Amino acid sequence: MAILKIENLVKNYGSFQAVNKVSFAVHSGEIFGLLGPNGAGKTSIISIITTVEKPTAGSITINDMKLNQHEKKAKSIIGVVPQEIITHGYFNVEEILNFHSGYYGLINNTVRINELMKKLELWDHRHKRVRQLSGGMKRRLMIAKALVHSPRLLLLDEPTAGVDVELRYSIWQLVKELKKMGVAILFTTHYLEEAEQLCDRVAIIDKGQIQKQGETTTLIQKLTSRHLTLILKNKIECSHPALINYQNNTLEFRVPYSKEMGKFLSELNLQRENILDMKIREGTLEEAFKYVLNQGEL
Amino acid sequence: MNNVKKQELIWTPFLILLSREIRRFFKVMAQTVLIPIVNSFIYLLIFGVSLGKHIQVIEGISYLEFLIPGLVMLGCMNNSYQNGSSSLLGMKFGGEIVDIKASPLTVQHIIWAMSLGGLCRGLTVGFVIFLSGELFYYFYESSFLIPVHPFYFILFCAIGGLAFTKLGIAVAFIAKTFDHVSAIGGFIILPLITLGGVFFSLDNLSPFWIKVSYFNPLLYFINGVRYGVLGVSDVPVAVAFWISILGLLIFHLAAVWTLKRGSYQPW
Ligand SMILES: Nc1ncnc2c1ncn2[C@@H]1O[C@H](COP(=O)(O)OP(=O)(O)O)[C@@H](O)[C@H]1O
Ligand SMILES: [Mg+2]
Repeated sequence: MAILKIENLVKNYGSFQAVNKVSFAVHSGEIFGLLGPNGAGKTSIISIITTVEKPTAGSITINDMKLNQHEKKAKSIIGVVPQEIITHGYFNVEEILNFHSGYYGLINNTVRINELMKKLELWDHRHKRVRQLSGGMKRRLMIAKALVHSPRLLLLDEPTAGVDVELRYSIWQLVKELKKMGVAILFTTHYLEEAEQLCDRVAIIDKGQIQKQGETTTLIQKLTSRHLTLILKNKIECSHPALINYQNNTLEFRVPYSKEMGKFLSELNLQRENILDMKIREGTLEEAFKYVLNQGEL
Repeated sequence: MNNVKKQELIWTPFLILLSREIRRFFKVMAQTVLIPIVNSFIYLLIFGVSLGKHIQVIEGISYLEFLIPGLVMLGCMNNSYQNGSSSLLGMKFGGEIVDIKASPLTVQHIIWAMSLGGLCRGLTVGFVIFLSGELFYYFYESSFLIPVHPFYFILFCAIGGLAFTKLGIAVAFIAKTFDHVSAIGGFIILPLITLGGVFFSLDNLSPFWIKVSYFNPLLYFINGVRYGVLGVSDVPVAVAFWISILGLLIFHLAAVWTLKRGSYQPW
């Protein structure tokens, strides 16, 4: 079921078009990756969903409610981890979480808040103010805030930018757990490996426009090829169009996913005994991404 | 989801933001209340006592008496403005306003919670100034100054405090820097308050300046409070009341308009 539906979203800042006719949907129990270089318009889209910015045109539906008609109700089921760290001046971690829970209509939410503080390793720091926290702790606080009211839609704007490996890994684990619980997750990032591992579906956005979207594996298969490397005992003649490199006894091919591997090998007219070794590397999201951004040049 | 609790979205978000605002005020209380007390002590000492012996603004009322309600309102409005603007600026530069906007809090929730928080500071400061006024009064008159119409006294303080917090919110929301906010506070609002009859009665002015003063909305707020304390006013109390309410409404709409139309980005 679609928790978030965006249709023909446009955002202009003055005469500059930051978001151009963007449409996509995020379903319950799904991680949707919004991938794009800096300035592509990812944060603008998130800001419009949270009503911090107003859309120029287009419609947003949250759990079957039009955002502009049921703003309060719609926002009550959204959790957001913004790209920028928020520095609550006067209050400590525990107070911040209690306030945040209250803004979402929940008081005496101690059980949930304690659980989140423990899970996100904030428990020992619960009496500290934001400026006394390390970068990683600040990021974890942002995440805890986003989860105090158990949102059905979670918006994560580059949550792993500039965090260490350990925290990145625990964010991935958390996101996967939430997905299992049925949360719809919109995840923006420019780390493509991460998106490939994590996201069920992705949209590649550039200059405010979605260039391609679909299931991560389908997109990779459509836009990239397998990389086949053959190491031979004896040199052979080869002029197959898929050949991209031939050095010493090593041949490299780019084999489209549409081609069966068996058929391809027989096209090469190789003797099986001549093959010393054989490696296949799958296409990556990064290659698909580059392919899309470079308008088809691989 | 395993969320058994039900979200209450009408009162809870508002009350929690209000409690945040009040707690913020308590955290900065010492510095915010101390300065106005010192200021009003100086005013009371110089004008109320030293010079005041030679000044007679209204028949039968000493200058010290005349000064006290004005100083109370000056402190109340000025501090409400400060509280509204500094709280909002802090939220804006810390990014918290984005958080609040993304939550189910409505613009009305935000403005009322913040203006009641500001009023809390305004009334605290006003009350403390009133107490210092009483101290001076007792020292020189050997009795306490009993407000003639305590209800009006509190009512006008409340309207003024609310109105000026809302103005502070609107100004801070559009402002790009802290300097903008204090510039508007220092160059526009403080003079208007001061010239609104804190230190003098309209009777002391020439006809031209009397006409000009009628256009200063602060005149009505301050005279409302003076009516509450002393039972005298330069303008009829009903007029003062309706113009103060009008001021409150205008500042409220200004705040609503900025929060609905303006940018939540700190730059
Ligand atoms: N408030 C704003 N005013 C003007 N331009 C903006 C504003 N916010 C973002 N932009 C511009 O819109 C484009 C998209 O920005 P953004 O949504 O932050 O991209 P991303 O998050 O993908 O890096 C950028 O070119 C940025 O400079
Ligand atoms: Mg961004």
